Amino acid sequence: MLEVTDLRITYGKHVALDGASISVGAGEMVAILGANGAGKSSLLGAVGGRVRPASGQVTYKGRDLLRLPQHALVEEGIALVPEGRGIFPGLSVAENLDLGARPRRAKARAGAIREQVFTLFPKLAERRAQIAGTMSGGEQQMVAIGRALMSAPDLLLLDEPSLGLAPIVVQEVFAALARIRASGLTIMIVEQNARATLALADRAYLIEAGRITGSGPADTLRTDPAVVRAFLGGAAVAES
Amino acid sequence: MLVTTLILGLVLGGTYALLALGLTLQYGISRIMNLAYGEFTLVSAFALVALFKGAGVPPLLAIVLIAPLGYAVGWILYAVMMRPLVARAGDAGRLDVASILATFGLMFLIQGGLLVTFGADFTSITYLDQGVNVLGVPVALNRLIAFAICVVAGGGLVLALGRTRWGLALRAVAQTPGSAPLVGIDVNRVARQGFALGTALAAIAGASIAMHQTFSATDGVVFTMKALVIVIMGGVGNVAGTLIAGLALGLVETFVATAIDPGLTLAATFAIFLVVLLWRPQGLFGRR
Ligand SMILES: Nc1ncnc2c1ncn2[C@@H]1O[C@H](COP(=O)(O)OP(=O)(O)OP(=O)(O)O)[C@@H](O)[C@H]1O
Ligand SMILES: [Mg+2]
Repeated sequence: MLEVTDLRITYGKHVALDGASISVGAGEMVAILGANGAGKSSLLGAVGGRVRPASGQVTYKGRDLLRLPQHALVEEGIALVPEGRGIFPGLSVAENLDLGARPRRAKARAGAIREQVFTLFPKLAERRAQIAGTMSGGEQQMVAIGRALMSAPDLLLLDEPSLGLAPIVVQEVFAALARIRASGLTIMIVEQNARATLALADRAYLIEAGRITGSGPADTLRTDPAVVRAFLGGAAVAES
Repeated sequence: MLVTTLILGLVLGGTYALLALGLTLQYGISRIMNLAYGEFTLVSAFALVALFKGAGVPPLLAIVLIAPLGYAVGWILYAVMMRPLVARAGDAGRLDVASILATFGLMFLIQGGLLVTFGADFTSITYLDQGVNVLGVPVALNRLIAFAICVVAGGGLVLALGRTRWGLALRAVAQTPGSAPLVGIDVNRVARQGFALGTALAAIAGASIAMHQTFSATDGVVFTMKALVIVIMGGVGNVAGTLIAGLALGLVETFVATAIDPGLTLAATFAIFLVVLLWRPQGLFGRR
């Protein structure tokens, strides 16, 4: 469904991504794992239209995404929840969700999707009228994910949804992700929380200093000694 | 006496509020600080006079013609002149500087054009200037009509911004432009619409001012400054605050003119401006 070929991203002289190729199949959940500054957000941002790559290709359902402006991607069925969430802090929860439902593809189904989002995050239903910027970090992440779902996406791009959240809230977010995944949505996720992510994902790519250095089924990677050492800490083996 | 001041002040303030709404839209949504704003008001005022005197077009019909023209002019101006500035500037601070310099130049360009075309003399029309009794106070009918136009246009805008999907998108861009593309909003397009809408409001304000006030080709600066004072008083981008601040300025000016001296109204405006800047730079109703 999504093909990224030989993608190169530079910021001035700095090379953030040096020829990365990945693919994501329909209905798959694919994780991107890597250390800080490895280029994960740059890769995801390029797919979501936020970052303009220097060279390479991004095709989605056979269409060249790099020719489209960022705002056109929602209509193509791609929803990005960026690092820092990208919500509208000055608007209410309901208004944030309404904005999510702007694309033509979502308008007709907005009512039904909103019900699904409220089932997924009951807190959003209770706090409809609250100004989003006054919510806790976890609640704001729910607004961000809920708003992305409102656009009826086929491909959901998540950049570190658990960043900066308390462990209990992280669990809540991953529980929601598990349900979103069960609904059959294709997901590409960047995460530091490798353990929880690999437990959920089908496959993962490992990225180091702008290059893809490994990939494979999540189950295999979870027990791969190198991955355990780099991302999971020694305890992972005993646990699984 | 007090009732007279109150009513005349509100009527004047309605025009000011409408005048300032366009500027706050242009700055709040399109992020262009338009120093030529008052010139657009003036062009529209002259257009109304020319249509009335030259072609006998009734002013109320003229406004209906002028407003969409204002929108079109603003739309084109944004696409041709402002968009390149926005694309190049990168951050808000640099865009402020670039837009202030560019529109400062534009101001002299338009003013020069007006001086050449209409000369430096004061202009006015006589239109529906019989007095109407409002709560015992005689108010010129043309002023009442101007006030009604302000209420309809300003109120319509507040409703549209607050209650429609289109208004929601405008507010989203005004508050958090960086997030807007994530929900499929074309920021460039919304900014162009905001600027065009602001120009249309400037045109409506100018045309309604021309119905009851004397003006000349060099008055644009005064309109810009008054609008700016109101926008800052009301809080930049705060539509409701702008409406209230506009009405307040009309009241203060009328009070100063009747109770102290008509020559002091401009001084009073800037005294308020200074006090607000020093005491509440975020505007009278702003948080923070
Ligand atoms: N806008 C930018 N300007 C300059 N350099 C940037 C910019 N964005 C990212 N970089 C650099 O590119 C490299 C990759 O950044 P990126 O944000 O993609 O990493 P990441 O893997 O998402 O890191 P993190 O885990 O910290 O979010 C980093 O060295 C970063 O400093
Ligand atoms: Mg990142």
